Amino acid sequence: MNDLFLRGGRVVDPASGLDALRDVLIRDGRVASIGEHLDPGGADVFDAEGAVVAPGFIDMHVHLREPGQTHKETIATGSAAAVAGGFTAVACMPNTEPALDSPALIAEVLRLARAAGLARVHPIAAITRARAGKELAPYWRLHDAGAVAFSDDGFSVSNPRVLRQAALYARDVPGVFISHCEDGDLKGDAVMNESARSFELGLAGSPGLAEDVGVARDILIGGDTHKPFHIAHLSTAMSAELVRFGRAQGIAVTCEVTPHHLLLADDRFDGFSADAKVNPPLRVANDIAALRAAVRDGTIDAFATDHAPHTREEKAQLLADAPVGFTGLETAVGAYASALPDLPLERFVALLSTNPARILGVPGGTLAIGAAADVTIFAERPWRVDAAAFHSLGKNTPFDGATFARRAIATIVGGAFVMRDGIVAAAVAA
Amino acid sequence: MRERSLLDLDDLTSAEITGILERARRFHDDPPPRNLLRDVCVVNLFFEASTRTFTSFAIAEQRVGADVVALPPGSSSLGKGETIADTAITLAAMGVRVIVTRHPESGFPYRLAESFAGHVINAGDGRHAHPTQALLDLLTLQTEFGKIAGLRVALVGDILHSRVARSNILGLIALGAEVTLVGPHTLLPEAMQRDGVRIARDLDAVLPHIDALMLLRIQRERIAAAVLPSLDDYARNYRLDARRLEALAPGTIVMHPGPYNRGVELTEDVFAFPGWRYAQQVSHGVFVRMAVLDFLVNGAA
Repeated sequence: MNDLFLRGGRVVDPASGLDALRDVLIRDGRVASIGEHLDPGGADVFDAEGAVVAPGFIDMHVHLREPGQTHKETIATGSAAAVAGGFTAVACMPNTEPALDSPALIAEVLRLARAAGLARVHPIAAITRARAGKELAPYWRLHDAGAVAFSDDGFSVSNPRVLRQAALYARDVPGVFISHCEDGDLKGDAVMNESARSFELGLAGSPGLAEDVGVARDILIGGDTHKPFHIAHLSTAMSAELVRFGRAQGIAVTCEVTPHHLLLADDRFDGFSADAKVNPPLRVANDIAALRAAVRDGTIDAFATDHAPHTREEKAQLLADAPVGFTGLETAVGAYASALPDLPLERFVALLSTNPARILGVPGGTLAIGAAADVTIFAERPWRVDAAAFHSLGKNTPFDGATFARRAIATIVGGAFVMRDGIVAAAVAA
Repeated sequence: MRERSLLDLDDLTSAEITGILERARRFHDDPPPRNLLRDVCVVNLFFEASTRTFTSFAIAEQRVGADVVALPPGSSSLGKGETIADTAITLAAMGVRVIVTRHPESGFPYRLAESFAGHVINAGDGRHAHPTQALLDLLTLQTEFGKIAGLRVALVGDILHSRVARSNILGLIALGAEVTLVGPHTLLPEAMQRDGVRIARDLDAVLPHIDALMLLRIQRERIAAAVLPSLDDYARNYRLDARRLEALAPGTIVMHPGPYNRGVELTEDVFAFPGWRYAQQVSHGVFVRMAVLDFLVNGAA
């Protein structure tokens, strides 16, 4: 493996408090030294002047669709999308077909990820068997196989007794419980946010309350069971307030926010297409402002895209039939910077790298000497989103055609470039 | 260029709405020759059972001389995996110029119009819109009062789930009426408040101060869905009965899009009320639909 020399970038590593212009030398897949005017020796030199060199970005909430839905995405195409967007690692949700609820399936995901040889893939296993909300998944065996967290993402575990039993049983199992908070009864057959807009369009809406009661319930179950909970994709002002409340009670709770919930409101619904259909739904301006404030004040721990690829044909169906979600991996860096252009870089990197690594308990999130060299290099370099050019099979983004100021320009995993100047490396089986 | 469609009343300017009402009035007073839509193929594509609207369109289409094909509910390939666009392309390729469609999902006619090289007329989509019903209601008001601007109109009942209410609100506001919506919170959320519309909970307080009362159908399913406790409890506040009819100012008219539930949103006293205009509404429906077909296919002239 070639040594790499990243020359003259602004190195931002929240884990060590470093924020300075430095050279970075990578040797044998690890961070060998960071300093001023280092000697590159025979290393492959990357000119990082004017760019930021950060610990590798980790998207802790993606849907890679394999096994079972490979017409939407595969682990290989999802991995390519990840590194193209600047992510060195992703954590993939278990709502595949079948759901990731057995050690063999976790092993299969890891095998496919190794074969793809691009991003690190951390599987998240189901909380309940088949994500059916009834019986507990085998948490220790899933952990042994490589699952890093547990979630029935896509649904809440609707029965609070089941969730409480699951959290108690899994209390000592490494791996946070990730909660998709949405009360199914309050949501009903909603296709969008309940608001003046849904009433105007005559569409069934899901009130913010459906999320709020779910967030409150799961934080309290976390407090009761002493199992750490992570609340996925906050979309309401009240959700952020509930997280603050939980922490004030001493409850271990973390949370994430997507780019679309920081940028888009439910007025994106026009013409009755499903292009703006997502769970939780796009809300209103007040929620967007509150979520941005919650990022700034530290309430929100992580940026996570909820990358949810679907085919054009699926998204073109009638609203009630069309699936929910947007792709996110290849637009995240630009979209987050667009939502919060004044966010200090140290916070930006912490939300995309340091904190997701800590919450999931996975390697990475640091440029400490000796750490595996997972590095994301990004810069203020305006670019236009072209969904047709995505590596993801899913072109379903609300940001197609948007211009963003920031983008990843290189992605390094284990000391090797997997994306360099926008070009994704050919898969190398490890 | 895509042909003009009528998907909801906000597709029309107020002048165009007035023009269609005038055209309908003309057709009513002086039946036109049965050749206005000669050689124009119209398909009635209904995905939801409908007696009134379906029949009204069929009669209107015959009176303007169109070639009419009716596809009964359930016959379309849409249920066999064909997309909306496929259906639109197929019908256009057969020379169909106009599709009149009703569908249980809000927005279906909009999606159809995106792909159809012809005119789409929305005959009711989900809880969203029913523009020809609103036009026939406007024609009924216009016929009664000679104008719509300044009229005080109250809509009572299940506003939330009513495509009739939504389209009427658009039309009434466009033509300058004062609109009051009346109903319980579960059928009329506060967030339905918009410019030009007042929300009231107390029907009895509203009754003496209006020119027209539009009742809406109350569906019994709302009880099982925990939206209403009982028809009797609804009746306490909102059913139009003899006592409430007496509270109306002289000259007030009462309308209902049908089908009405006797004993639910109204009692049989209403049928003997001199201002009950249900039959006129139904009659106006045919002329309004003739006018819409003529307006879309032959233009505003």
